Amino acid sequence: MWASQNKLGKGYVITSTYVSIAITLLIFSILFCYSFQAFTEIGWRLFTHNWNPATEEYGILPMLYGTLSVTCIALLIAVPIGVLTAIFTSEIVPKQYRLYIKSAIELLAGIPSIVYGLIGIAFFSTWISSWFDLASGRTLLTAGILLAIMILPTIITLSDDALFNIPKKYREASKGLGFYSYEVIQKTIWPIAKKNIAGAILLALGRALGETMAVMLLVGSIDKIPDPFYKVISPGQTITSKLGREVGESAFGSLHFSALNAIGFILLLLVITLTVFTQIYFRKKQEAL
Amino acid sequence: MRKIIILSTLVLTVLACTEQKNDIVSVSGSTTVLPVVSTAADMFMKQNPGSKIIVNAGGSGVGVNQVGSQRVEIGMISRDITEKEISQYPNTSFKTHSIGRDAVVPVVSSEIYNAGITALTLDQLAKIYRGEISNWKELNGPDKEILVIDKEAARGTRHVFMEIVLGDKEAQASGADLVLGANNEEQTALVQSDAALGILSNGWLNDDVKGLSIKMPDGTLIEPSLENIVNNNFPITRDLVLITNGTPTGKTKEFIDFILSAKGQEIVVKNGYVGISK
Repeated sequence: MWASQNKLGKGYVITSTYVSIAITLLIFSILFCYSFQAFTEIGWRLFTHNWNPATEEYGILPMLYGTLSVTCIALLIAVPIGVLTAIFTSEIVPKQYRLYIKSAIELLAGIPSIVYGLIGIAFFSTWISSWFDLASGRTLLTAGILLAIMILPTIITLSDDALFNIPKKYREASKGLGFYSYEVIQKTIWPIAKKNIAGAILLALGRALGETMAVMLLVGSIDKIPDPFYKVISPGQTITSKLGREVGESAFGSLHFSALNAIGFILLLLVITLTVFTQIYFRKKQEAL
Repeated sequence: MRKIIILSTLVLTVLACTEQKNDIVSVSGSTTVLPVVSTAADMFMKQNPGSKIIVNAGGSGVGVNQVGSQRVEIGMISRDITEKEISQYPNTSFKTHSIGRDAVVPVVSSEIYNAGITALTLDQLAKIYRGEISNWKELNGPDKEILVIDKEAARGTRHVFMEIVLGDKEAQASGADLVLGANNEEQTALVQSDAALGILSNGWLNDDVKGLSIKMPDGTLIEPSLENIVNNNFPITRDLVLITNGTPTGKTKEFIDFILSAKGQEIVVKNGYVGISK
């Protein structure tokens, strides 16, 4: 290994890091610049119920509600299933089959979201409408269920890695202490892997918040908060579906365009806060250990 | 060897990017006009090998915006350009070319149609979209909640319909249950439901999505037939329009002339619309 090669490698690593940071900052600042007009001209009226570009009303509460509720539904379904599947693939399945099962699950992640959307429209929405006897199956719940399927592979595959990478000696030592298999998982493996599994869920959460195509087709796209608010079997709107439907129709530079950027900016803030909070929470926990 | 591969990839990429752009005509906009233009584009490309026409959907609003910001050569719209849109693009001089006529038709799921609701008055439609009538029972139909389907705000079909039914092309429909976009998306929702009411272009009606007749104040029923569109009897009609930035030249002009020719107008009629010459 020559010294120059070493320098070259170092330079490459540093440049790539800076490029990723720069791209994030760029997106952040561009979104902020374009949404600035909306923040100054609309101000607090952004946080109202009515969205109508014709009368210059831009209330984003229904979209915020939709995004949060759809994401919650998706996580409520996907986290238990995903984590348990990961424990199964990493701890219970014989090693020679693990790879096949994992590849099959990872295949799910490679399916384009528009395909999920089409499947959702063709099957899920009709099922939901007949189960709950609804006029239309395009509801927040339908979008949430589909989203749960879409984020499952992320949760499973990353949690599985987190569990599987724990050195064998821990398992052997706890077995040597006379633990049953479930106790090994519960008392030894789980506490070590917890942080990385939380990371996996966080990554899945990011995808759930940002998913556009499938949600847009299934959510109903109406800017209303259901009445009562927990009635998730009614149509709604998420931030991403709003953007997907309207960004092409708004003129560049108009207040409408700026307001759409503003909800994009708020979505980005949401993701950033969630990430930072979780990071801090788990760092503290680890220090306490 | 690796260097050669990388180099040749680079060269190819550069070559691919420098393909002469003036031979490509990009079109985008209304899904009402889309079937006509995409069929016409296929035929035009067959007749003129070497020319390329790319057709995209998106809705009338998208058509206006993309011509306005000069990202496409031709925009398809199924409504008028609004004052607001013209003022947003001071550097673009929109020029319109009508290529056919169409009706915007209120449509219902076939279950509702077969249950006897085959005509509504404009006033009843307005009440449904405002949320004052919410059950088919009130219109002597089956006891089912009406699934009112609205369209995205900048869609041409919505502008034309709301202008006549609610009196303002950008009126809000507080009775709406779903907001959808393209004609085909709306068609799917109508077929999947058994109690839906939506708005579609005349060219998109079929056996599963039935167009309603409009009941006029004097009691006559006017069905959305081609005849009634030609003689303007049907109350909700509109022009199908292509827009360009200034007077079109070159391939863009040739393509528009092709649609206006006898062969192009044949395509318009085949898609369920009315030709411009009539």
